[in-house]
Amino acid sequence: MLRNTKRETLVALILVAPFVAIYGLAFIYPTVQMFLLSFTDAPLIGQGEYVGVENYTRLPDDRRFQTALWNTGYFVVLSVIPGTLVAMAIALAVDRLKGRLQSLVLALFFLPYILPVSVVYLIWDWTLNFQFGIAMHLFDALGIQRVPIFKSTAWFMPAVALVTVWWTCGFSILLFLAGLRAIPAEIYEAAALDNAGRWTTFRRVTWPLIWPITALVLTIQLILQLKIFDQVYLFSTGGRPNDNLVLVYYIFQRAFQSDQGGRAAAIAVVLFAVVVIVSVFNFQLVRMSRGRAQ
Amino acid sequence: MNAVSRLGAAAMAALVAAGPAAAQETVVWWDFLSGGDGVRMKQLIEDFNAAHEGQIAIDATTLEWGTPFYSKVQTSAAVGEAPDIMTYHASRIPLAVQQGVLQPITEADWQAMGLSASDYDPATLEAVTVDGQVYAVPFDTHPIVLYYNKDILAEAGLLTEDGLPMGLDSREGFTATLQALKDHGVQFPMASVTADGNFMFRTIYSLMGQQDGELMTDGEFLAGDNAEKLQNALSVLAEWTEAGLQSTYTDYPATVALFTSGEAAMMINGVWEVPTMMDAQAAGTLFEWGAVELPVIFDHPSTYADSHSFAIPANQGVEMSPEKRAAVLEVIGWMARNSLFWATAGHIPAYGPVTQSEEYKAMQPNATYSSLTANMIFDPKTPLAGVAGPIFDVMSTYFVPTLNGEMDPAEAVEEIRAELNDM
Repeated sequence: MLRNTKRETLVALILVAPFVAIYGLAFIYPTVQMFLLSFTDAPLIGQGEYVGVENYTRLPDDRRFQTALWNTGYFVVLSVIPGTLVAMAIALAVDRLKGRLQSLVLALFFLPYILPVSVVYLIWDWTLNFQFGIAMHLFDALGIQRVPIFKSTAWFMPAVALVTVWWTCGFSILLFLAGLRAIPAEIYEAAALDNAGRWTTFRRVTWPLIWPITALVLTIQLILQLKIFDQVYLFSTGGRPNDNLVLVYYIFQRAFQSDQGGRAAAIAVVLFAVVVIVSVFNFQLVRMSRGRAQ
Repeated sequence: MNAVSRLGAAAMAALVAAGPAAAQETVVWWDFLSGGDGVRMKQLIEDFNAAHEGQIAIDATTLEWGTPFYSKVQTSAAVGEAPDIMTYHASRIPLAVQQGVLQPITEADWQAMGLSASDYDPATLEAVTVDGQVYAVPFDTHPIVLYYNKDILAEAGLLTEDGLPMGLDSREGFTATLQALKDHGVQFPMASVTADGNFMFRTIYSLMGQQDGELMTDGEFLAGDNAEKLQNALSVLAEWTEAGLQSTYTDYPATVALFTSGEAAMMINGVWEVPTMMDAQAAGTLFEWGAVELPVIFDHPSTYADSHSFAIPANQGVEMSPEKRAAVLEVIGWMARNSLFWATAGHIPAYGPVTQSEEYKAMQPNATYSSLTANMIFDPKTPLAGVAGPIFDVMSTYFVPTLNGEMDPAEAVEEIRAELNDM
């Protein structure tokens, strides 16, 4: 039977059209608008005058922008690699368990992931609150000076990173577990026959074979943590917001508190560029190191 | 029902009797009152609906306080989906006018409401006015006051004959009272919301007002000696922290808990905590307490206040019918005349005839602290001001370290000035 390629193309186009339409409407169009908005002095709602690149040129001298950029980078460093390593370690441990016990332990580790961020905030506030937090009573019992964790700039980012790792590593654990289960048991048997110890087995078998998953988790985490907002916003409300700014928080401040849509858009464009550059860089790095690992 | 509201009801009845029978108007209402005052507002709305059966019905929704509320108002007004009436903080009105989300209140509106601008305290009315035009009708003012534990103060011999704390008239006197409480073995003479700089803005701005300080002069922040006045205000509080006279790194709920549990002898907080104390006392779980105007730390009494007001949104592309507008104005007028009940939420009703009534003067502790209405100061008139606004965030960032002994007041003032003028 002869294939009617013209007809097939038409059908394909019709099938793809709904997605393209929604993608265009919900993603491409707003993105283009955001770029255009960043060259105006528009408020949050409505039109603005064209102001050229002024919204961008003032960023390098903007103290809050500097703080936000620095904090975002700092947070990524504190959360991405540690979070990935913790998830991998937990996955390795859970993988050794069998049957119901494994399901139970896995469920326990996954539990925080299903909590909404507001609940996560409340749990940790109850734990670390300076006056009434449970941890502070522990500090008192041990004779350690109480620490105002979310009110001091030195402790804030590390603490939020810890909370974030606690909250989100359940999902990474699942990915790692899937990866670990995909490694054929024969390879481990062969390694055992060769008298390989645990560490050697991990370094020579598990690590290289699980690398694609590790790279995936790293990339997901990286993009996710660059866009950090909720936790920082919740933990710093009323405290020292402008010392704890991250990029998305600064966009929020400019757009929703100061009613400066144009300036907010310019920061959003910068964040967009940062995410693109870092992701590409990360991808290349992962590809290179993967070549070496094999 | 008091005399004022009876009069209002009679006027409304006459009005309705005179006009032809019309269909019932539904007034869509948004507010952000979710605490103890939210309960009281729902009661008022119910009473209104009962009194206007078949004529006007309020369809009320309570939304999240702060930025979420004001963002929603702005976006919904832009597409013609805003409510018919909403509560609004007076401090946010300059920004709202810039955004074009409010309809002005005209002379005819005042008449339709059966209210007069002269029934309001000039400072409160000024707070809802931009460029000579009134944009909202004040419903209350909600200042901060000094709460005190009468039992502890009496035990330490620090109550005057009138049952007020000693030393309310000077910095030395008040610090001495705090010190005496400390010496008496009270762990926290003063509970302060030191972990929340947003909140402390109210106290610190009051202390600036006591020196006639201004946050904003002709568009410039902390001009002239105003920086010094801010520094003075911060120094007092930093000094209390250093001497161990107030709680450190305490957030809002913890502050209230320290006071109500008796661990702290005094607390500076909003009048909206009055119902909390009332309810606890009624349940028999609270000590004898009082609330009074802030102590005079500097030259003269002054207290920061904001005002909950009623505003009519400017819906883009939607014309409000005269019948709807009349119904909205009736709501505002009725609420003002019946605001005595609102005083049980601690707030000071803005409508003069209510606060001048005998019923109000008999209410305690409201009558004790209502003297402060003569000394109220409001936020500077700028789109940057207001609850949950950018000024709050800048202040908070530097107040928290200063009030907890991490930063020198002088350094904080330098940073605040730089950042405010940077906005």
